[in-house]
Amino acid sequence: MLRSLSLLLLFCSTLPLSSPARGQTDGARTAAPAGVTAYTNARLLPGGAPAIAAGTLIVGGGKILAIGDATLPVPEGAAVVDCAGRTITPGLIDASFAGGANPDDLNEQGDEVTPAMRVLDSLDPEDPAFARARRAGVTAVHVMPGTRNVIGGLGCVVKTAGSDPAAMVLKEDASLRIVLGAEPSMGNRAIRGGRVESIYYRRPTTRMGVVWEVRRAFYDAKEALQQTMGAPNQPPSPGTEVLTRVLQGKLTAVTTARSEQDVRTALRIADEFGYQTVIDEAQDAWLVADELAAAKTTVLLGAPSADEVAGTAGADGAEPKSGTVRVLAQRGVPFVITTGSNAAALDLVREAMFAVRNGLGPQQALDAITVEPAKLLGIDGRTGRLSPGLDADFVVWSHDPLDPAAVAASVHIDGICVFSR
Amino acid sequence: MTRDRSPFAVALLCCAAPLAAQDFLVRSSRIVVAPDTVLTDSALLVRGGKIAYVGKDIPAEARAAAKTVDYGDATIAPGFVLATSTLGRDDDLAESAVAFTPDLRAAEAFDPWLERLGTLAGCGVTSVGWSPSPRNIAGGIAALVKPGAERGKVVVPDLFVALSLAGEARNRERAPTSLMGAKEMLHEALQTARVGVEIGPDVAVLRQVLEGSRRALVHADTFAELNAALELAEKFGFTPVLVGAREAEKALPRLVQSGAGVVLDALRPENRLAALGLPARLAEAGVPFAFGGPPDRLRLSAALAVRYGLDRKTALAALTRTPATLLGQQAAVGALRQGTAADFVVFQGDLLDLDAAHVATWIDGVRLFVAGANQTTAAAGER
Repeated sequence: MLRSLSLLLLFCSTLPLSSPARGQTDGARTAAPAGVTAYTNARLLPGGAPAIAAGTLIVGGGKILAIGDATLPVPEGAAVVDCAGRTITPGLIDASFAGGANPDDLNEQGDEVTPAMRVLDSLDPEDPAFARARRAGVTAVHVMPGTRNVIGGLGCVVKTAGSDPAAMVLKEDASLRIVLGAEPSMGNRAIRGGRVESIYYRRPTTRMGVVWEVRRAFYDAKEALQQTMGAPNQPPSPGTEVLTRVLQGKLTAVTTARSEQDVRTALRIADEFGYQTVIDEAQDAWLVADELAAAKTTVLLGAPSADEVAGTAGADGAEPKSGTVRVLAQRGVPFVITTGSNAAALDLVREAMFAVRNGLGPQQALDAITVEPAKLLGIDGRTGRLSPGLDADFVVWSHDPLDPAAVAASVHIDGICVFSR
Repeated sequence: MTRDRSPFAVALLCCAAPLAAQDFLVRSSRIVVAPDTVLTDSALLVRGGKIAYVGKDIPAEARAAAKTVDYGDATIAPGFVLATSTLGRDDDLAESAVAFTPDLRAAEAFDPWLERLGTLAGCGVTSVGWSPSPRNIAGGIAALVKPGAERGKVVVPDLFVALSLAGEARNRERAPTSLMGAKEMLHEALQTARVGVEIGPDVAVLRQVLEGSRRALVHADTFAELNAALELAEKFGFTPVLVGAREAEKALPRLVQSGAGVVLDALRPENRLAALGLPARLAEAGVPFAFGGPPDRLRLSAALAVRYGLDRKTALAALTRTPATLLGQQAAVGALRQGTAADFVVFQGDLLDLDAAHVATWIDGVRLFVAGANQTTAAAGER
């Protein structure tokens, strides 16, 4: 007890933020600390590389300066934090994060197809979901528009601490969200006489209507692309411009598809128009594993621990299986573990723990919430591993992160402690 | 009480002559012609609804010919300018079928007989930016209006364009329903205006904003809304006036950098300390701001802001000169000098103290409010 207390004091003494009364810090980042800090005597799980039993992590100027075993020399004048054998991992990355703004502001309901909407414009740095994410060791999240539109708009990747969304951004246009299934058509209705006093008298009202909207949007974009090639002076509409970027392979499509038929539809449409897609919240992926593997399609496995179907009232009729993660790993389907929009989702690290219980290797499970999402989102040059030159985004865990008792002892973004307990 | 009333007795006695031909010499021991300029034992010469002379500039013959109204030891200050208001007529000032209507004109929805106009003088408000409602993303063009003795009038029909990213502009029954949708709608419109291929009255209005020939008042309350507004302003190179700005403190560095002005919502005594202290912090950061909201809350807002750290000069400016400047109307209203409208309020005591007594309000040289008197009677007396 005394040892852990002194450790905590030592942590906090190196932090630029003062600790509030309850002994926790949780807040916005300020300027990067000027000095160099060495975290010694730590078990380092660098991500994508073997663990280092008694390692040293040296950070300074918001970046990771060096990582190595106990023989790594600590620079002169560096503050030294003795981690007493605790585990340090890279900051976790949630590649499908439902939060970060008022839910109403994440769904532009003016139309069903709104590709040009940027979720970044709706972000609220003070949204409580960011604070929860920090506490859970998550340092970067991929926020996408909500699931009420067929094509919702552009997702972005942001760090979980900061006061200005523009300063939190890791990648501005990270994805285009497409949603299949029952959710986008919910609330729409057909005109059956009487007064039309709502915008919700519109397509789609069925699952096939949802697919029709996707197909029409990409068909129009394809046509616009061909026309632009003939007459390059006419600028496309903002929505068409986004869709053509997907068609040209410059922007990743993320298709939310929970049930088997929706996953198959997502693959079919992507194939039809020749774009690459990532499949989000694919709870029925175990039924389509071979097709996913053949198409080399990455799956964002939303809350593998949840036995509830994600989305509104479970209307999608998928059958979540706890073994899905093992099936995907065995069949060679690339996947990333996320929390997604599932109300039953646990903290991201617990989802990885759950995957380990269901047959995934510990290294693979940790990579699925650090290295793999970083690569998928194209931010692996900034974060996702403990490697010199990358941002100093890391978590000091009380136990091995996959231990059910593990909590984040301190969470660091750009070298600044944004949470400690 | 008797002492307070004595000036009105004098005032009411000299109301008999018709206004148009009559000059008034309005005397008082303290005339605040601008927040930082106070004249003691001085006078204003009111002629044809305007201030013809101030203080020692008044020629002796004009002084002799004018009817004298002596307010004794009361204080005269410029009338309050309410930068933007719908005066409760939102339904008539928001074209609800579509959210983007920058070319609609609020002046065309102005009812000179509107009952609310009659209450303005009693609140010390002498001119109002009669604006399309913030329920639309681009509501339309505002007008400067004033109450009159009988009916209100439009003074400047073509003022700022009212834009809005505030929550009330997002409507469940038409686009946009979200903040990102609202920003995208505005972004696309500004982009269209900038590219300059398309023509049309709506594009023309936004083009004037980009050229700097028309002011844009943007309603935005939360941090995300303020950020969105400032980002658009930065990208398209215009300086907005932000209306509402409840979370302005969080966006302060960007706000300062943008040079934008702010029209705050009314303060209430039950507000949180952060809200009550916001005016003082805006003043400290050098952000020009005015008090807005319901007309009957303007003076209370200023008084509360003073109680929570705002200096009195800035508080008075935020009722008078700053809103006039934010509307580009500083030559006509918001101060008392040669050529400005004869819009002023008379208070016994400092008007920023809530126990000061409101003695009278003059608008365009007409006394529209006299304490203790039925104001229509007062106006009728003038005529």
